[in-house]
Amino acid sequence: MILIGERINGMFKDIREAILNKDPEPVRYWAKRQYENCASYLDVNTGPTVEAKDQPAVMEWLVKIAQEAAPLPCCIDSTNPEAIEAGLAAHKGKAMINSTSADQWKMDIYMPMAAKYSAALIGLAMNEKGVPKSAADRAALAMEIVVNADANGIPMEDLYIDPLVLPCNVAQEHGPEALEALRQIKMLADPSPRTTMGLSNISQRCNNRHLLNRTFLIMSMACGLDSAIADVEDQELLDAVAAANIMLNKDIYCDSFLKTFRQR
Amino acid sequence: MGLTGLEIFKRLPKTNCKDCGQPTCLAFAMAMAAGKAGLDQCPHVSDEAKEALGAASAPPVALVKIGTGEKQWELGNETVLFRHDKRFEHPTAIAISVSDTMSADEISAKVAKINKLVFDRVGQTHSVNLVAVENASGEADKFAAAVKVAFDNTELPLLLISEDTAAMEKALEVAGSKKPVICGATAANYEAMTALAKKYDTALVVKGTNLSELADLSEKVIALGHKQLLLDSGAREVNKVLADQTQIRRQALKRFRPFGYPTIAFVTSTDPFQSVVDAGIYITKYAGLMVMSSADPADILPLVTLRLNIYTDPQKPIAVESKIYEIGTPGADAPVFVTTNFSLTYFCVAGDVESARVPGYILPVDTDGISVLTGWAAGKFTPEKITEMLQGCGIADKVNHRKVIIPGGVAVLSGKLQELSGWEVLVGPRESAGIASFLKQRWSA
Repeated sequence: MILIGERINGMFKDIREAILNKDPEPVRYWAKRQYENCASYLDVNTGPTVEAKDQPAVMEWLVKIAQEAAPLPCCIDSTNPEAIEAGLAAHKGKAMINSTSADQWKMDIYMPMAAKYSAALIGLAMNEKGVPKSAADRAALAMEIVVNADANGIPMEDLYIDPLVLPCNVAQEHGPEALEALRQIKMLADPSPRTTMGLSNISQRCNNRHLLNRTFLIMSMACGLDSAIADVEDQELLDAVAAANIMLNKDIYCDSFLKTFRQR
Repeated sequence: MGLTGLEIFKRLPKTNCKDCGQPTCLAFAMAMAAGKAGLDQCPHVSDEAKEALGAASAPPVALVKIGTGEKQWELGNETVLFRHDKRFEHPTAIAISVSDTMSADEISAKVAKINKLVFDRVGQTHSVNLVAVENASGEADKFAAAVKVAFDNTELPLLLISEDTAAMEKALEVAGSKKPVICGATAANYEAMTALAKKYDTALVVKGTNLSELADLSEKVIALGHKQLLLDSGAREVNKVLADQTQIRRQALKRFRPFGYPTIAFVTSTDPFQSVVDAGIYITKYAGLMVMSSADPADILPLVTLRLNIYTDPQKPIAVESKIYEIGTPGADAPVFVTTNFSLTYFCVAGDVESARVPGYILPVDTDGISVLTGWAAGKFTPEKITEMLQGCGIADKVNHRKVIIPGGVAVLSGKLQELSGWEVLVGPRESAGIASFLKQRWSA
């Protein structure tokens, strides 16, 4: 399971203030901390309060600070192609682009960009019409992304399809559809594309968020989830992932499997 | 695994004409991958695409049959890179070579030796599979004469090694009736060799000077309509053979059709130790057929054993034969141990009895090869079955006492077993490592 730490995001107050004050300390703190908590990528997002014209410079700054503080690649998260490109240019190693949708005009921007920088790419199984309801419609949009990635020479191992997760209090019927979509996405190509999700969405404004998050994560792993953007501070979530890795025969069992999982 | 949506889509005409009833070609590909539509619903798909899509659902490594009758051997149908992923299906065929530079007497003597390379392993017989005849003289008549001697002296299928089409033609006139493997086709002679292979309906070795030439040549031979192939990348050094074998299997599993056939590997070292080690590498690393020159049983026994082990099914427990085993030379007052016929269990107990330095008898009860506690939980290691073993195997005639030692883990069986069998039941230690001290303290016949 590839965990993408969600914390360096301008939606959080401390990161927003860090950006405003040009104070690198909170970014450094979260980069290190998420690294220690098993993150494989650091999601980096300027947040909506930064004006569009300033986003490229802020993204570049965030990527540099994060990579100085922790030996991890970044998942460059923005709806602004210029901000993403600025992040990619400043990035060391193999970055991840978060994200394109299945809209052709977006794929035409982000796919060549992913190919140019040899970056991984998250593709959302949705388009301008919104989030599809059924698993079949999600898989059809995922297929559009797969075909375009293939045409752009992006290897399937670098493509992460997100079946789209919605909060379970208001969009409860989407849960099982997203799980079924994961199963279908893994069968679209051979080798199969990878899968990811914005996990914490499942529990927006719900009670017992940690319980909901980790339950859905484990169910998703059983359906073929390879990666998730998640709260890696959540130790019970990490325990559950370690346990699921054992039960899916991805890690070899040992009595100290929780500790071993954290030491990698 | 069936075809994926992407594989199907790439072969479709991409007209989005809706004639298939789906809104787009992409949607049609998805429906096909899900098994909800058939390729015949698209009126515009090319014949080439149809064949490619049909071939993609065939097994990744074709099944190739060698020889005829009882000694026929099957190769291929492999589906994995590592045996623990599933299993290796068809054991490597072992061929021993003779050369047409040898005299007729020498050839028949060596073939007689090859015929005797039959070994008993765990109650089954295992042998070498082919006699290879090499056209080392370069002369067609000598080759045909050598093939005739081999053909007349063995029931084993033959492997005919010559790149000279005329020589091969003559040899096939002698031996063609038993479908010898033709070795083989090269870039220079493949048309004539393929014609011969088709005429005699037999397997053909395709030899390239490297992997890319091999792929080209294999495609050309397939295009001529012959599909019983064995692949030879031309490599002869062990490291290169290992790399090529790996590449051929790996690409075949990715459905690269030109490599979708079993392979042939040649052991070229003249040092007997080295040649056995090289052969061992080829058996473990995907060779369908392996050719070597030694007919010394001491060289072949370890290879036959390795082949047997590598090609066992890792998902099925390995069982030992359920019978009396004697450790040391036990007398009439030696202890009798009962265990199960799971090979790991048996060999643990046998090893510990041996190191206790007290000769004894071990009776592995047939539990379908599962361990003591698993057998107990599954109702396969019961007082009834142990009694049956004690009474049926003849142990009572070998010992003058009526005491049997059972594993400590199934102590609860002792009462019922004693009642049923009439033997006095001693409960041994839970672990067989405790047998030595158990015997010291408790055993007297």
